[in-house]
Parts: sequence; C-alpha cells; structure tokens
Amino acid sequence: MKKVLLTFVMILMVGVLAACSDGEKNPKEATTKEGEAAGDSGAQTIKVVFKDDGPSNPVAVSYYEKLSEGLKKDLDLDVKFDLVEVAQGDYAEKLNLLLYSGEIPDLIYFQGADKQIADQGLLEDLTPYIEDSKYIKSIMNPYNEARLRNYPYLLWIKPLDNRVPVVRKDWFDQASSSATLMENPTVDNYKAFFKEIVQIGDTKNAVTVAGDIRELDYTFDMAFGINKTWLDSEKGFEHYKVSSQTKDKLEFYRQLYEEGLLDPQYLTKKHDTKQEVFYNGETAVIPGTNGKVIDIYNDRMRVLNGEESQLQVLPPAKGEYQGFGATDISKESRGLAISSQSKNKDLVFQVLDYLASPEGQKLDRLGFEGEHYNVVDGKVELTEKYYGDWYARYWEPNNVEFEVAESTPLLGDAAEKSLLSVADYYSEDNSFVLPEEYVAQWDAMENLYKEYSADIITGKKPLEAFDDYVKKWYAAGGESLTKYANDNLK
Amino acid sequence: MKIKKLIKRIREDWVLYLMLLPGITYFIVFHIVPILGMKLAFQDYRIIGDNEWVGLKHFKVLMDSSAFYDVLKNTIIISTMKIIFIFPIPIILSLLISEVRSGRFRKYVQAVSYLPHFLSWVVIAGVWISFLHPADGGFNVIRNFFQLPSIDFMTSKEHIRWVLVFSEMWRSAGWDSILYIAAIMKISPSLYEAAKIDGASSFQQMRYITLPALLSTVITIFILNLGFFMNAGFDQVFNMSNDSVNSVIDILDTYVYRIGILNGQYAYATAASLFKGVVGIVLILGTHYLSKKYTGKGVW
Repeated sequence: MKKVLLTFVMILMVGVLAACSDGEKNPKEATTKEGEAAGDSGAQTIKVVFKDDGPSNPVAVSYYEKLSEGLKKDLDLDVKFDLVEVAQGDYAEKLNLLLYSGEIPDLIYFQGADKQIADQGLLEDLTPYIEDSKYIKSIMNPYNEARLRNYPYLLWIKPLDNRVPVVRKDWFDQASSSATLMENPTVDNYKAFFKEIVQIGDTKNAVTVAGDIRELDYTFDMAFGINKTWLDSEKGFEHYKVSSQTKDKLEFYRQLYEEGLLDPQYLTKKHDTKQEVFYNGETAVIPGTNGKVIDIYNDRMRVLNGEESQLQVLPPAKGEYQGFGATDISKESRGLAISSQSKNKDLVFQVLDYLASPEGQKLDRLGFEGEHYNVVDGKVELTEKYYGDWYARYWEPNNVEFEVAESTPLLGDAAEKSLLSVADYYSEDNSFVLPEEYVAQWDAMENLYKEYSADIITGKKPLEAFDDYVKKWYAAGGESLTKYANDNLK
Repeated sequence: MKIKKLIKRIREDWVLYLMLLPGITYFIVFHIVPILGMKLAFQDYRIIGDNEWVGLKHFKVLMDSSAFYDVLKNTIIISTMKIIFIFPIPIILSLLISEVRSGRFRKYVQAVSYLPHFLSWVVIAGVWISFLHPADGGFNVIRNFFQLPSIDFMTSKEHIRWVLVFSEMWRSAGWDSILYIAAIMKISPSLYEAAKIDGASSFQQMRYITLPALLSTVITIFILNLGFFMNAGFDQVFNMSNDSVNSVIDILDTYVYRIGILNGQYAYATAASLFKGVVGIVLILGTHYLSKKYTGKGVW
C-alpha cells in the first residue's frame, strides 16, 4: 500500500514539474510547429481557429469534412482541417491568450485585438494573394477593398453591419404618420411616428436599445449632420463627439426620454431583454443588425404574435444628411487572417478562394444537402433546419450563383430590405486606427462621453453640461488626438 | 535541526501529509509558478523572439493615465465599504444561526443563505435589476406603499455603490458564515453549561464565551481578506455597470480588462496586477504586524 502511494506521489510531482517546465518552453517552440504537413496519407493539415467551431462542435466538424471533400473533388487538393478549441468565454480575449501562449494556427478568425498580433509581424499581408485570386477579388465590396488598403491583414466579405430600426408591420400600417415618415423621414416626422405608434400598440414606450444609445445613433446621426467621425469645421477637423451636432442630437434624445418615447430603462437593458420587450409589445421599435438578425427578429415576432406582425424596416432619419452612419474603412473590425508563420499560406488562401467559388458558396451559404437544403427541379429549397441552425461562416457576397426557390428565400423580406437600405446609403468614414499611445486616453474620453450623454438624455444633467464635458474631453487627451487627426487627415 | 524534525513529523504522519499534497500542488502550480510570469510587467512581450526589457514603462503609463486615479479611488471606496459593511454580517449571521434551537430550521436557514453563493453574477445582476426596477421592482413597490417615490437605483450615482455592497452581502454572507459556524461548533459545551449554572443569560454567553472564542478566526479572516482589498469585484461591476454609473464603479480590474486584456496589452495588465499584489501584501503584513502588537493574535 505504502509503495503504491509513494508511486502515486512521485507521478504527481513529475507531472507538476513537467507542467511547469512546459509552460516556459512551449510558447516559443509551438510557433515553429504550426502548419507542418500532416504525415498520414499525404494530406496537408490546416489548423483553424474560429469562434464556436471547435472539435466539440459536431456541425463544425461535419462542415470541415465536407469542405475537405469539396476541395478534393473540385480542386484535387488533399486538405485536412485541425480545429482548435478555444476556451469558453469572450472569444477575442480567449483567442488572444491562445496566440500569446505561442500557439498560432494557420487560419485565424479575429473578433478584435488583432492589431497587436499584426504589429508583431505574425499576420500575412493578404494583398498579393487577393490580386492573384480567382474568385475572392470579384466578390469583394468597395468597403472591403478600402479596408484592405489601410490594413491588409484581415478579410471579411460580409454585408455591412449597421443597425436599422424595425417595427411591427400591422402597427405600421395602422399609423397615419407612416406614409409621411417613409416619404420624408425627418427627425420631427420620426417623433410624430413614435408618438402615434405608442398609442396604436398601447406600448409603454416607442423605442428601446440595449444599454447603449449608439444603436439609435445609426438612425439619427446623419440627420443631425454627423456624417463622419472627424467633422470638417472652421477650426479644422473636430471629433463628432464634441461637436454642436452631437449636442443637438442629445437634446433630441432627451426630448424623447422626457416624453416617454425612449425607454426609461434603456441603460439597464441587455440584448435579451431588449428583444423580450419588443416581442411582448412593451416597446414598438428596436434597432437590429441588418440582414440575418432582422430575419431572426421577424421569425420570432411572427411565431409569437401571428403572421400579420412581420416586421417593417424604417428608413434612416433625414436632415443635413441621410444614412445609417458612415462606414469605417480604417480596417475590418473582425475577419480572417493567415499566420505569417504558417508553412501552408498558399494552401490556406486557396481554401479561402474556394469558399468564394460557386461550389464553396453552396456549402458555406446553404449548409449540407439533404439536411439544410434540397435541390428540386434545379432550384435550392431551404429546410426549416437551415433557418434555425445555419449561418455562413465565411463569405456572404451580395450575389449568389445558385437559384433559390421563391418559397424558401435566403432572407425574408424585411431582412432583404434592411440590407438594401444600408447599401443604398453607403458612405465612407474618415476614422483611423488609434495609435497605441492613445488607447488609455481614448478609454477615459469614451467614458466621459458615455457618462455625460447618458446623464443629459436622462435629465440628470442639464444640456449646458455638454460644454463642461467638451472641456474635460479635450483635457483627457482629446487635444492631442485632435492635433494628431488634423496632422494626418486630408 | 528543524528539517530533521520536519522529516520525522512527515514520517510519523505521512498519510496526513499525503492528503495535504494536492492542495500544495495546486498552490505551487496556480499561485507560486505564475509569480515568475510577473516579470512580464517589465517587458514588452514578443510571441516570437526574445521579450524586450522596458523597465518601468508600463507602470509609468499606468500612473500617467488620469483614468487610473479615478478607478483607483473607486476601488478603494468600494472595497472599504464592503469591508466595513459586509465583513461583520457573516459573524452576526453565524451567531444568530448558532442560537437557533430547532435543528431542522437551522439547516433550512443555512441552506437558504448559502444558495446565492452558487449563482453567477450574470444571474444575480438580472435578479437585482428586476428587484430594483423603478416601475415594478419589489423594492420600489414597498417604497411606494409607504408613499415614498421610486428610485432608479441602477442608474443612480448616489446609490449604485450601495447596490454593490448589498448584492455582495446577499450573495456571500451565508457562505462566509460557514467558517465562523465551524469555529463556534468547536467551543466546548462545558463552558456554556458552566455559564448557565452561574446564571448567565444567552446574550451573556454569546458576549463572554462565543465572541472571545471567535476572535482569532475573525482576525485571521479579516487580515486575509485585506489581501484581496484591491479586488473590488470584477464580475459584479462588469454585470451591474451602465453608462450612467460607470464613472463611480469603474474599478481597477474592469479598467485593466478594457485596456490590457481586450486590447491585447498583457504587459500593461500584468503591471496593474503586480501593483494590486504589492498593495495586498503591504496590507496583509501591516495589519498582521499591528494585530500582533495590539491583540497578540495574527495570521501566524
């Protein structure tokens, strides 16, 4: 018995020492191992890290198996995918911990915090690959091209992700102010519509957001003259958050709040509670991300409140300008990158290009044949499972090569309209990637804006407090940042 | 000589030492070895290649940031409030529970008071936001019943720190009382019997037997708690914060999370953690020294 226990103790101690010594060595060694060719059957292995797509996700495993089959069949490429399991929690945070530990997969999906990795020279410049690509260059949107010129390490060919306001169509149709709003969506007409819709729906308020007024800014910013991050004023470039236009906008929000049109509890709302009050009729309008998210809202609303409650997309408010906000083209805020340490960079890009091809798009956009879709008379018919489970992991260009049956469209009417509406009002922003030395100052400036805007809207501070805020904002680092902007913007 | 004694002891009670081994292993792997990683606070970390020594650069950036002093102030205020108002509650609760005569009722009270400890802060934040809702939250309904106006506690700068204190109290009081209840159970019943014969009331028994017997446990836990003084509750603040109150409850941990972790500036985050650790050690050693001097009792 004693011997057994002693052996156990010895094993435990050796294990501890091994664990400790590995922690010191692995980070530097692991980088050289990434991307090496897999020995068995001559197939090349690509290590992939993607949100929610670890080896424990059976759908992801099947997806990459089918992708391997497609690559073999269509391009005669022997590729295997080694999926990396990312620890549960915030993806950007856990991914960074993985990368900083020295484990750098060949293909990496980022959801922020990629610049520090790029600054260390660990991400591949994608420009030459895209220039030589067969499919990707033809499906890129203008904003993808602009972003790639400024920051060539991330690629994310997806629709713009702005927030568009939606309302139940049955309520919208009953409101006499609806037609005026659609024809001429001024700020005043929006307010009139909000007032009427509260009465029609017998709701507690007209509009709510999930804790952050920025969701509403997408609709109203441009009407108040905020058409870019750095506004061209007489004094030179001025950040919109300290501009008179923002002051006017906050005054408008304050009025909405005072009149009970803006949810008095918007500050403590989360995304789930925001949707809950929308579905149960406590609020009439919510902003949602254009495209798939609007589809989800629409389906849920129809299930809970009947067919007539499907959603109507509202236009962006019209004033000095009109639109859902200028699009940041400084860089992709998320997307795919190839490790500069990978031994299979060309192969990884071939896979990305394949996913932009008609065959690759069929897998990525539609899922698995017989499960997520069926082909009937040469047309794609989507199944219930497609609508419930499937989402495109990689590219979502505007046009698809396959024909989808009208009875089962890729996106519902409201979602499709939201995409078109956002695309119609596309304009480019002049924001830039913040230099590292401004990160801490920017945090302080952002906190000031959030605090003052929340307090002004909710009436805790008078509108005149905006001027104090502007002074504090400049003192907290705004002055040097504004100088930097004026030195660098043309 | 001491080592020989220790070896002799280990030989005599080797089973007990064996049982201690997993705990020691845990502390070595997760608490001692990571201390070596603290050198990152003085380096610029490179994933490939050698890290670059930058001296006190990250500490300088930390100290130069105006936001740092705001979050430091918030951390100290919230931690002080929690120590003053929460620390005595488990002691009082354990004293009250030990006075309950019905065993079944005592178990029920203990179980109910332990439950919140097992809830995550996401859930607790949801519960408290609903409970304090200005329109139909339970607390404001009671206030309205007494003709008092509703208060939006979650967005009020004056009240939000109290929300943190009371929600933390609700979550931890029961669980933290376990140690004190265990210490009370250790007190010899003969002391209480003798006191009863001498005519001591229940309160006098508590005052002259229970409380003095608890003192060393209280002091030890108090000193150890001070080691976590700079941890004002990341999960709690993260889930209960909003734009209106962030300026008064933004603490060192949430600041480091935003600047250090989300922006991938790990060396900066390590510098902030090291700062917290040093403050914690100073507080532990300082309080231990003062406690030894004035009460004769300390952590060791």
